[in-house]
Amino acid sequence: MEKTMLDKFDSISRIQKGLEGTGYICSQQIATTLYLAFHLDKPILVEGPAGVGKTELAKASAVFLGLPLIRLQCYEGLDESKALYEWKYGKQLLYTQILKDRLNDILQGSGTLAESVSKLRQHDDIFFSPDFLEPRPLLKALLQEQGAVLLVDEVDKSDPEFEAFLLEVLSDYQVSVPEVGTIAATSKPFVFLTSNNTREMSEPLKRRCLHLYIPFPEPNMEREILRARVPDLSQTLRSHLVAFIHQVRKLDLKKVPSVSETIDWARVLVLLHASDLKPDLVSETLNVFLKFEEDLEIVRERVFEFTQNAVKAP
Amino acid sequence: MVLQEFLASLRNAGVRVSMSETLDAAAAAKTVGYQDRQILKDSLSTSLAKSLREKRIFNDCFDRFFSAESMKSWDDFSPADRVPVPDVSPLAAMILTGDRTGLSVSMSVAARRVDVSAISFFTQKSMYIQRILQEMGQEGLKQDIYRMSEPEGSWSKQSLEALQAGRERLFEEVRDFVEKQYALHASSVPEQIMESYLKRVSLSNVEQRDVERMRRIIQKMVQRLNDRYSRRRKTARKGTLDLKTTLRKNISYHGLIFEPCWKGKKIDRPELMVLCDVSRSVQAYSRFMLLFLYSLHEELARIRSFIFCTNLVEVSDVFKEYGVQEALAKLESGASLDLTLGRTDYGQSLQDFREKALNRVTRRTTVILLGDARNNYGDPRTDLLKRIHELSKRVLWLNPEPPAYWGTGDSEMKRYSPYCFHVQQCSTVTHLERVVDFLLRTQG
Repeated sequence: MEKTMLDKFDSISRIQKGLEGTGYICSQQIATTLYLAFHLDKPILVEGPAGVGKTELAKASAVFLGLPLIRLQCYEGLDESKALYEWKYGKQLLYTQILKDRLNDILQGSGTLAESVSKLRQHDDIFFSPDFLEPRPLLKALLQEQGAVLLVDEVDKSDPEFEAFLLEVLSDYQVSVPEVGTIAATSKPFVFLTSNNTREMSEPLKRRCLHLYIPFPEPNMEREILRARVPDLSQTLRSHLVAFIHQVRKLDLKKVPSVSETIDWARVLVLLHASDLKPDLVSETLNVFLKFEEDLEIVRERVFEFTQNAVKAP
Repeated sequence: MVLQEFLASLRNAGVRVSMSETLDAAAAAKTVGYQDRQILKDSLSTSLAKSLREKRIFNDCFDRFFSAESMKSWDDFSPADRVPVPDVSPLAAMILTGDRTGLSVSMSVAARRVDVSAISFFTQKSMYIQRILQEMGQEGLKQDIYRMSEPEGSWSKQSLEALQAGRERLFEEVRDFVEKQYALHASSVPEQIMESYLKRVSLSNVEQRDVERMRRIIQKMVQRLNDRYSRRRKTARKGTLDLKTTLRKNISYHGLIFEPCWKGKKIDRPELMVLCDVSRSVQAYSRFMLLFLYSLHEELARIRSFIFCTNLVEVSDVFKEYGVQEALAKLESGASLDLTLGRTDYGQSLQDFREKALNRVTRRTTVILLGDARNNYGDPRTDLLKRIHELSKRVLWLNPEPPAYWGTGDSEMKRYSPYCFHVQQCSTVTHLERVVDFLLRTQG
């Protein structure tokens, strides 16, 4: 790997600072995992509640490393032809049409069918060569000269079969294409897999990955995140807002507000030129971070109390 | 070496650690070094614990394992003369010189030799304490003290006192150490035993406090079911060749068939209606059936539940709206549900079912009855069950009583069973597992 890359990964605090430079505030835990992933050449499986910045982590890492981000969004029914490679059927067909005459030339003079086949065999399987291969995200990531950040998003949404073939890519950084052979990575990509835990990932997959669990951030860190993301927000409002959200997270809700929703709310408050947290204002903007009617009702009842607590808190 | 012991205790606590993960952990520890405790913890956590549950266990284990800062009490222990006394056993020398590191090393070596990590019952503690002391050279120490206390010896009184005090401290240290080892290596044993016990034990005997744990087992089971679903669906996706779509799609390839299209098969998802007896005779048991129902409700979309005693009411909404504890409490008390908790009346309940939901029973519906079929000698109304049997895909009856009791006393099981596709005793989780398996086989 390049010298500059090694420099970037020379210490854990450096990674933390580097990510901070891209606007991603992360805990030491996250930085440590990145550090290890780089030095041990391992993919990272990121789990955690929705909206804590799992995908964002991959994006920030790509910016930090100065590498292209290649993203594969998983869904039910995703298969090899969408994730790995596909033959360029159209091109193959076109070329056979164009080369028809040439083929006739080659085959001229051969009497029997067997003879023509053996003649054809002298030319390799030209139509099934890398030229006719359409690389999909996984293969594309392996083929990047400088390396890449590969993000396999929401891997839990894919089928168990897909998971099985991910294993080959993840452990050896290579892909087998039956007609061509094995294609190995030119330089190993940095792999992130994210999962929302809709289903338990298989043991072999977990074994091959480093596992990172990102929980909801501590109040301190959430304030830092807000500072980086919504710089226009005043300091007092920022800490009140975080205190409020943390109280809401303790309730039994259908969908607990995540970091991204905190950020959205902060932006809304900035737009409304709010200077401090008032029950009325909160009630009016609740729907920014609560997405279910039931949740809204639960929180609405306690807005006054929560606002009081949040404003009082040091 | 330290890492290996840590892994052993981690495994013991129920975290599965494979060989390759062991190597990863070793490499990780080597990469980050042992200087920063938090970084080491994070690194090991990231390479060993692969789910939230495992992370929690890991944190617990790590803190317990690496908090073993042994021989702390020796810091303030300063024997009168720290000059090494010749001609005493190595252990006595270490005590006299206040050699904390030496003692600590000696203790861990001794502990390894007597294999303290095999400790699994608290009754073994004193045995291990004695063995470790033995290994550290307790005999020599005793002899030294004995020799010193002889009047004509050339020993100072101070060193004798120091040695005696030191011996007591040593005993305390070793006891603490063994205590910690016990917590580290043995706390998980009961958990394992408990889990396997719960799988076998009769549902009605399990105490209230185990409900939470039972639910976890059931969830694990339902989770596995779901996995099976998705696999089944995948084979269905292959199906048979859909000629029409294939031709249409491949027109762009000059009519050459490049991309075959398949006709999907329809997946046969179970549609459930469950009738659960909550009368007093099956109370303890029905609690767990309700628990099972609750888990099913969380996982399956098409399910309707009814509970009955003297009459029958639908409770699907309760399952959907409330948390598990709340829902169970609500169902058991029957409050605000219009449920009469008097004599069990299967006949009336079946009639209620006919009025409430029989028109929704189709050939895709599986009807499950949970109950002991003890009807207090009332009219069993087998004709109604027959009707359900005819309309539905199948009727399953799960009876908490063992087959030998069926048909005895007021049990109407024998009269109901001709109209059931399958009757099974079901009073343990293992039984439940079997039932669910049965339920999911589409060609039942």
